[in-house]
Amino acid sequence: MRSVRLRINRYPDSSPVTHSRYNRITVFQKVLIANRGEIALRVIRTLREMGICSVAVYSDADRASLHVRKADEAAHLGPAPSRESYLNIERILDAARRHKVDAIHPGYGFLSENAEFAQACVDAGFVFIGPPASAIAAMGSKTAARRIARDGGAPVVPGTEEGLVSSLEGRKAAAEFAEKAGFPVMLKAVAGGGGKGMRRVDRAEDLSAHFDSASSEALRAFGDGRVYVEKLVENARHIEIQIFGDQHGNMVHLGERECSVQRRHQKVIEESPSPLVAWRPEMRQRMGEAAVLAARAAGYYNAGTVEFLADNDGNFYFLEMNTRLQVEHPVTELVTGLDLVRLQLEVANGSPLPFTQDQVELRGAAVECRIYAEDPANNFMPSPGRITQLAEPSGPGVRLDSGIYPGWTVPIDYDPMLSKLIVWADTREHAIERMLRALGEYHVGGIRTNIPLFEVILKDPAFREGALHTGYLDALLKKPGLFDLAPAPELAAVAAAAVAALAKPVPEPIVASKSNWLHGREGLLR
Amino acid sequence: MKPVIRIDGDPVSPVSYNTLVEVEPGVYSILVEGSSYEVYIEATRVDAGQVTVAKRHFDYQVDDPRQWKRSGDTAGGQGRAAILAPMPGKVVRIMVALGDEVEAGQGIVVVEAMKMQNEMKAPRSGKVAAIQVKENDSVVAGAVLAVIDPAPPDQAR
Repeated sequence: MRSVRLRINRYPDSSPVTHSRYNRITVFQKVLIANRGEIALRVIRTLREMGICSVAVYSDADRASLHVRKADEAAHLGPAPSRESYLNIERILDAARRHKVDAIHPGYGFLSENAEFAQACVDAGFVFIGPPASAIAAMGSKTAARRIARDGGAPVVPGTEEGLVSSLEGRKAAAEFAEKAGFPVMLKAVAGGGGKGMRRVDRAEDLSAHFDSASSEALRAFGDGRVYVEKLVENARHIEIQIFGDQHGNMVHLGERECSVQRRHQKVIEESPSPLVAWRPEMRQRMGEAAVLAARAAGYYNAGTVEFLADNDGNFYFLEMNTRLQVEHPVTELVTGLDLVRLQLEVANGSPLPFTQDQVELRGAAVECRIYAEDPANNFMPSPGRITQLAEPSGPGVRLDSGIYPGWTVPIDYDPMLSKLIVWADTREHAIERMLRALGEYHVGGIRTNIPLFEVILKDPAFREGALHTGYLDALLKKPGLFDLAPAPELAAVAAAAVAALAKPVPEPIVASKSNWLHGREGLLR
Repeated sequence: MKPVIRIDGDPVSPVSYNTLVEVEPGVYSILVEGSSYEVYIEATRVDAGQVTVAKRHFDYQVDDPRQWKRSGDTAGGQGRAAILAPMPGKVVRIMVALGDEVEAGQGIVVVEAMKMQNEMKAPRSGKVAAIQVKENDSVVAGAVLAVIDPAPPDQAR
């Protein structure tokens, strides 16, 4: 009762919206977001625009987090460890029942690609805002996904057909494949994701040791130690296609994102369009069609991403499919002008896609930087702690999807991503200049962030030319003195002036002043 | 005597400016011959902290003989060395026992924060004089994890 009254007081204009396009009322009155931080806030914002009540969930570590502050309602899940909170299906469903929601949005990470969770939501009577559980399961196994993509007609990197366990036969099969395909090869976890259980192998004699360590890492991370072997595509770009399908068989692609700037297999900068596609415009359509084929073969609907490796000659290979909204979805939103979360909600309630492939128009260029609480000048040491000061960028073409505020303490229990800074401009060159300007406005006090890393990358001539591959950043980071700065005695003297002012506060004279504002108004009224 | 301002350890004379305004707590706008600077100060102690201007971070220290008596050297020197947690986290492993002889650079305690494990190393050779934490303890930034006593030269033989 209280929540309903509160909502009416806070947002007197929000009511279920009539979709003018279909002249129908949205099915959802209330949606629970089974996630935290900036992505929970991202979903809350679209829900509010649509007049749908939002329910946040939180662990003990997140009571004061921004997503809890901004949601209409909030439900406590449990202690800080993820398995007792954001990964706990039963507790999330309990919260959904308590708050009487219609649907559950999984965000990204946590349970977003867990087929069991998607099915449990449906079985409990909630709409899961995402693909069908069967498609998540099919694409969750990387070897099965490769088969589906290949059978659907998408090119795949040569690799072993089945996952291999760390046994004599497993190592033998891996060695046979590697011998045939030629080194270097990549070992990857069948249940993989996030770079876990991945190893590059350059020499036959290293295969066994890498196989065992990849397999045990995969077992720890996913509870599944199976590993498969792939031919390594050297200096490949990571380019992915955003696809979107409805429950009536319509499926479109929304252009590509280039995510080749990676550190330890984790994306750092994403952009759309890809510089490669700008040089070879036919690739967008070829990759888009291959992505749609792969997704259709899995019986997919809602938002998804098909990842490819591509080379500068225009060859590309299916890598895997991510069955969720991606961290980097805002770059696609900026070049397409679409709200992908709104589309997800519409498609989940059974509405058809409101546009066709021919109506998708891409405009300008967008770049995203993932801002992390880590110190690039100190070997990327994590830097949690209390945010003492915060100056956030704004102005033309700047979007900040952030989960932080001054006075908040970044918890040590979760991923250290603080925010995503995304910019849009008419050209890639202008977008990069705009990003540098926006990064210059961004000040996070109390902790260290990786903002200096972006300033180095965005000024690097190779990045500016678009000469990217997945090994680009690791090679750049090997350059000595990358974060060394020239002495700046003028700046030190300016800093000293502020410190002197802090050390010797000048007492403010307390004088009752007559309001000039009132004066001015009197003057105007006269 | 005027306080001495040290920037990254060196005494620095403040620039002479036209105007200085504290625009927000800890945020200063300074105009120097028409150039505009924004300076952020984060005090970590009453007389020291970090100052940021034009994306450059500096450590500052105010030596004011009227207000603060400089206490004895606590961090460096030849005496006992405390190993401090660099950030809030959880103790995952203790690699030594009380009384162990350790070499400089030897791993002492592993602290996990934000899914990264960080091995805290002995700053000098000596004997483990205290271990202040147990495995699975949560620690705050700056918490003392262990204390190393220097090996006395005569005892070293």
